Amino acid sequence: MAAAGLGGVLWQRAAARLRALRVAAPLGARAASGLSSEMLPGPYPRTPEERAAAAKKYNMRVEDYQPYPDDGLGYGDYPMLPKRSAHERDPWYQWDQPDMRHNWGEPMHWDFDMYIRNRFDTSPTQIPWHTMRKHFLVFLSTMLIMFGIGQFYPSYRPVGPKQYPFNDLYLERGGDPNKEAPVVTHYEI
Amino acid sequence: MNTTLLINSLTLLTLATLLTPIVLPLLFKNFKNTPLTITRTVKAAFLTSLLPATTFIYSGLESITCHWEWKFIMNFKIPLSLKMDQYSMTFLPIALFVTWSILQFAMWYMASEPYVTKFFTYLLTFLIAMLLLTTANNMFLLFIGWEGVGIMSFLLIGWWQGRAEANTAALQAVIYNRIGDIGLILSMAWLASTFNTWEIQQAVHPHQTPILPLMGLILAAAGKSAQFGLHPWLPAAMEGPTPVSALLHSSTMVVAGIFLLIRMHPLLATNQTALTTCLCLGALSTLFAATCALTQNDIKKIIAFSTSSQLGLMMVAIGLNLPQLAFLHISTHAFFKAMLFLCSGSIIHSLNGEQDIRKMGGLQKMLPVTTSCLTIGNLALMGTPFLAGFYSKDLIIESLNTSYLNTWALSLTLLATAFTATYSIRMTLLVQAGQTRIPPMMPVNENNPLITAPLTRLALGSITAGMLITSFITPAKTPPMTMPLVTKTAAILVTILGIILALELSNMTHTLTHPKPNHLMNFSSLLGYFNPLVHRFCSKTLLEKGQNIALHLIDLSWLKKMGPEGLAELQVAASKAATLAHTGLIKTYLGSFALSILVMILTTQTL
Repeated sequence: MAAAGLGGVLWQRAAARLRALRVAAPLGARAASGLSSEMLPGPYPRTPEERAAAAKKYNMRVEDYQPYPDDGLGYGDYPMLPKRSAHERDPWYQWDQPDMRHNWGEPMHWDFDMYIRNRFDTSPTQIPWHTMRKHFLVFLSTMLIMFGIGQFYPSYRPVGPKQYPFNDLYLERGGDPNKEAPVVTHYEI
Repeated sequence: MNTTLLINSLTLLTLATLLTPIVLPLLFKNFKNTPLTITRTVKAAFLTSLLPATTFIYSGLESITCHWEWKFIMNFKIPLSLKMDQYSMTFLPIALFVTWSILQFAMWYMASEPYVTKFFTYLLTFLIAMLLLTTANNMFLLFIGWEGVGIMSFLLIGWWQGRAEANTAALQAVIYNRIGDIGLILSMAWLASTFNTWEIQQAVHPHQTPILPLMGLILAAAGKSAQFGLHPWLPAAMEGPTPVSALLHSSTMVVAGIFLLIRMHPLLATNQTALTTCLCLGALSTLFAATCALTQNDIKKIIAFSTSSQLGLMMVAIGLNLPQLAFLHISTHAFFKAMLFLCSGSIIHSLNGEQDIRKMGGLQKMLPVTTSCLTIGNLALMGTPFLAGFYSKDLIIESLNTSYLNTWALSLTLLATAFTATYSIRMTLLVQAGQTRIPPMMPVNENNPLITAPLTRLALGSITAGMLITSFITPAKTPPMTMPLVTKTAAILVTILGIILALELSNMTHTLTHPKPNHLMNFSSLLGYFNPLVHRFCSKTLLEKGQNIALHLIDLSWLKKMGPEGLAELQVAASKAATLAHTGLIKTYLGSFALSILVMILTTQTL
C-alpha cells in the first residue's frame, strides 16, 4: 500500500509542483540555509548599476546606500550606516529581536557589537557634552587646587614650644652649681 | 584549656558549617538544598562564631594557623594561612549576623523567584569568599577571596539577566573592580619580590615603604570600595535584587577594599604621602557621593550613595592612620546599612515594585515596623548620640578635628556629614511622613515574620553594636581625650545643621513650584557628569581603537604586509633591481664576477 502511494498520482503531482517552485524561486529565497555567494559583501561599487545591486543586496534604498570610502582598508561595498547605538531605538516598538532592537533583514552596522545595549551609548545627553566636560573639569580642578592649598595650610591643634622648669634645666644640663644661673621666666604678669 | 586550639578549631568549625550546603549535595544524592536550610546553616554558623569571638575578647589571644602549603616553587612559600586577630574575630559574627537576617528576609522577598535555591547558593558562595578574604593571612588567599566576591557580585547584580540594564551594571562592576585588581596584583608582585613572601605579618618595611606598591593597594581599595574615580559601579549595582544590595553593596563586599588597607596598615603607616592620598581620596569620595545623594529620587540609589559616602569616611579614617577606627565604622555601618536596604526592600515589595520616593509617602501608618526601623537606621547613620553609628562616626570626626591634616579634607568631611543628615531626613520625610502619594490599591503588608524578625534584629544591632564593640575591644591608639567643646560637638552640630537644611527645603517644597534646573542641581542629579563623560569617552575610544588594531594593524600589516603581499612586493622590488644587471653584455657579467670574488676575498680575510 505504501509502495503504491509512493509511486502514486498525488505524489507525482506534488513533486512536479515542488520542481516548478524551485525553478521559479527568486534568488536567495531558500529559508535558513546560509548565505549564498551573491549575498556576501563584495568589492567597492564603481558604477551606478553596481551601487543599485549592492543596495538591493543589503535591503536598502539606493538613496540611503552609502559605502565606506575606497581607501584600501577592506570595507568593500558594505554600507556606512549612521553611528547610532541600540539605546536610541524605540524601546516600546515590537522588534523582531527585542534585545538588540533589530528587525530581520535590517542592515547591521559594521561595528554593531560596539553599539549594543551593553556597550557604547550614543543617545543624546540632557546637558550638552561641552558643558558637562567643562563643569566636571572645573569641579575636579577646584578640588585638586584646594587640596594643594590645604596641604600648605594644614589644620592642627594650637601648640606652643615646650617650656622647661628650673631655669631651662640649668643644673641638669651640666651647668656649674657654684655659678649663678641665668634667670629664665616663661611668663609675664 | 588550650585557648589557641579553642579559637582555631571554633573558627574552622564556623567556616566548615558554611561549606556544608555546598559540599553535602555533591556527596549525597538525596540531599537537596532549600532556602530554609541555607538560612539555618548561616544562623548556626553565626552562633558558632560567637564562641571564638568571646574567647578572643576575654583572652586577647591572636593566632595564625597554616593549613596547607602549595609547594609550587621551592624558595617561595604559599601557605594557606588564616589569621584570627581582632579584625577577623569581630567581623565574622557581624557578617554572619547580617547575612542570616538578609537570607531570612530574602526567603520572603525572592519567594516568587523560579531559581531561588540558586540565588541562595550564590549568596552563600559570596559569603564564603568574603570570610576567606577577612580571615586570610596570605595575599594569595586574600586574592582568591577578592576575586571570588567580585565574580559573585557580577553574577548577583546580573541575576535578572534578561534585563540589559542589569547586564550593563554587572559589567560595570566587573570592569571597575578589574582596574582595582591591577593595583592589587602590582602590590602582590612587589611584596613577593621584596619580602619573598605573601604573608601579611612578614610585610614590615624597616624604613619608609616605597610609594608604588602603596599606590597599588590604594587603587585596589578605590576599585573595590567605590572611591571617587572608580565609583560608578556602586549606584549601578542597585539593578540587582535588594538582598544582593543589602549584603554585597552595603555591608560586606564593598568594605573589602578598606579591609585590605586595614590589614596592610603597617606598610601604609610608614609613608605619609600614601596616608595623605587616602585622606584626600576619602574626603573627596565622601563629599561627592553625599552631593549626588541629595537629588536622587530612587530609594535604593540614595542608600547606595550613602554607602559610598560612608566608605569615603572609612578611607578618611585610614588616612588618619587609625585602622581600628575604620574597622569599627565597618562593623557598625554593616548593621544599619543592611537594615536600611531591607526596609527599602519591604517598602518596594509592598508598593508593588515602586522605587521612586516621590510616589511614596505616609507609610508610617501603613508599615509601622518597617518605617520605625528606617528611622532608627537613618538616625544611626547620622551619628545620633549613643546609637551604633555615633561610636565610630563621632570618633572619626573628633580625630579629624584634633589631627594635623589637610584643611580641605577636614572641611569636605564635615560638609559631607551635614549632607548625610540632609539626604537621610529628606528620604525619611518623603517616604514615611506627610501626605501619601501611592496609588490606591497597593498590597501593603508587613505581617510576615520573615520581614519583621530580620528588621527587628538588625535594629537591635544598630542600637547596641557600637557600645558593645567599643566596650570589649581595647583601642590600639590613644583617642584624643581633651578638646574644646566646639571640637567635641562638631559632628553633632553639623548634623543638626544638615537636619535644619533638610527641614527648610521640605518646607520650601510645599510652597514652591518645580524649581528651574540650575547648574548645581544638574551636577548633583546627573552624578557629577562622571558617568556619561567617562563611560562614553573611554568605551568609544577603546572599542574603536581595538577594532582598528585588530582589523587594520594586525590583519592588514601582519597577515598581508608581513606575509604574502609584503613578500611579493619585496620580490618585485628585488627583481626589478636585479633586471638592470641583465644586459646580456659579457663585460657586465665579467664585472659582476670580479665584484663578487672581491667581496668574498675581503670578507674571508682576517686582518
